[in-house]
This record gives sequence, C-alpha cells and structure tokens, in this order.
Amino acid sequence: MEKGKISNNIRKLRFFRDEMTQQQLAEKVGVTRQTIIAMEQDKYSPSLELAFRIAHVFGVPLEEVFSYQPEDTST
Amino acid sequence: MSFQEKNIVASLSTFTLILFVYLFRVFQMIQTESFNAPNLFRLWGIVAILAVAGTILLSILTHIAGGIVHKIRTNEDPHIEDIQDERDKLIDLKGTRVAYTFSSLGVAASMLTFVFGQSPLVMFSALIFFGVLAQIVADIWRLNLYRKGF
Repeated sequence: MEKGKISNNIRKLRFFRDEMTQQQLAEKVGVTRQTIIAMEQDKYSPSLELAFRIAHVFGVPLEEVFSYQPEDTST
Repeated sequence: MSFQEKNIVASLSTFTLILFVYLFRVFQMIQTESFNAPNLFRLWGIVAILAVAGTILLSILTHIAGGIVHKIRTNEDPHIEDIQDERDKLIDLKGTRVAYTFSSLGVAASMLTFVFGQSPLVMFSALIFFGVLAQIVADIWRLNLYRKGF
C-alpha cells in the first residue's frame, strides 16, 4: 500500500479568520496548542473527528482544510 | 517544551537515575562478593519503591508546576482533562508498545543466562535491568515522536 502525505491550510485559514491564535483554535476544537502546532508543521495527521471539528470551526468543507497527495511511486 | 514532554523528561530522569543506582549497587555487590539472594532482593525492593515513589512525586510536582505556569500565563484555572488530547494518547500508546516489546526481548535475553549456565540470581538481576531499560527506551521513543512528529 502506498503511503501518501496529508497537508493542510490551517495557518492560512487562521490568518483569514482575523489572525485567530493557535490557542483559540485549540480551545475551540478541544486539543492542546502543541497539537495545532504539530498539524501546521505537517508533523501530525489528526483523526477524522478532529479534522471535521477544525473544518467546522472555519466553516469550510473538509477538503478545503486538508488535502491528500499520494506518494509518486513511478520514479 | 509542552507539559507532556516535561512529564516524560521527569520520568526519563527518574528511571535513568534508578538504572545507574541499580547497576552501581550490583557491580558493588559483585566486587565485594556479596551478590546473594537477600542483598539482591533488598535492591529489588529499593528499585521498586524508588520507581513508584519517584514517579508519583515527580508527576505531582509536574502537575503543580504546570498548573502554576498555566495560571500565571493565562490567568485561568488549569483544566486537567484538557492537558492530554488525542495526539498525546496516541504517543503514549506507541511508547507503551515499545516498552512491551523491549521488555519481552529483555525477558528472553534474561532466560538466555540459564543457557549459559548462570545462576537464577543473574537472571533475576537481568530482568530488573531490562525492565528499567524498557521504560527508558519508551520515554526516549515518546520524546522522539513529540519532536519529529509521525
């Protein structure tokens, strides 16, 4: 099974929400600030539930927050 | 450094100290030819008490210190339930799995001492050594997951 990369636009979405702080987002979705930092740095892929909660906070569909890129195995 | 990382560093420090104390005492016993069952089992007791008391004490101190820092920084009362989220739980589980794997290998390695004709005392001292070492390896693994991500 090929392993892909999950990236996100959380930093950009926070910026467009009047520069919402990491702490504010963390409190809204019920995680620690460190988890938000890890997600923004692509060091942690959240659970499906947390991903939906983040999308809900920003009021956008899930695919606008997270994107999946399959690893190129042809090279 | 996050609250969880501080907790892991505290645990890592405790178990590293315990390992050094244990190894120092075992080698001391071997050198003075007092490596016998009563002395070894007394050492087992000391290690167990140090591990339990040290971990509890450091955990309480970390919680108190973390609460004070949280209060000073945000002027809000700390909520213990908010401190560990899904990422922390996942890292904790991955660390526990590493600890179990390492302990199992340690038990197998300890049993090997019988194959080489060593006394049961050697096997028992190796068991404790690998048990403490498993905890240290698991803590290092957890810290690595916090730093590098997964």
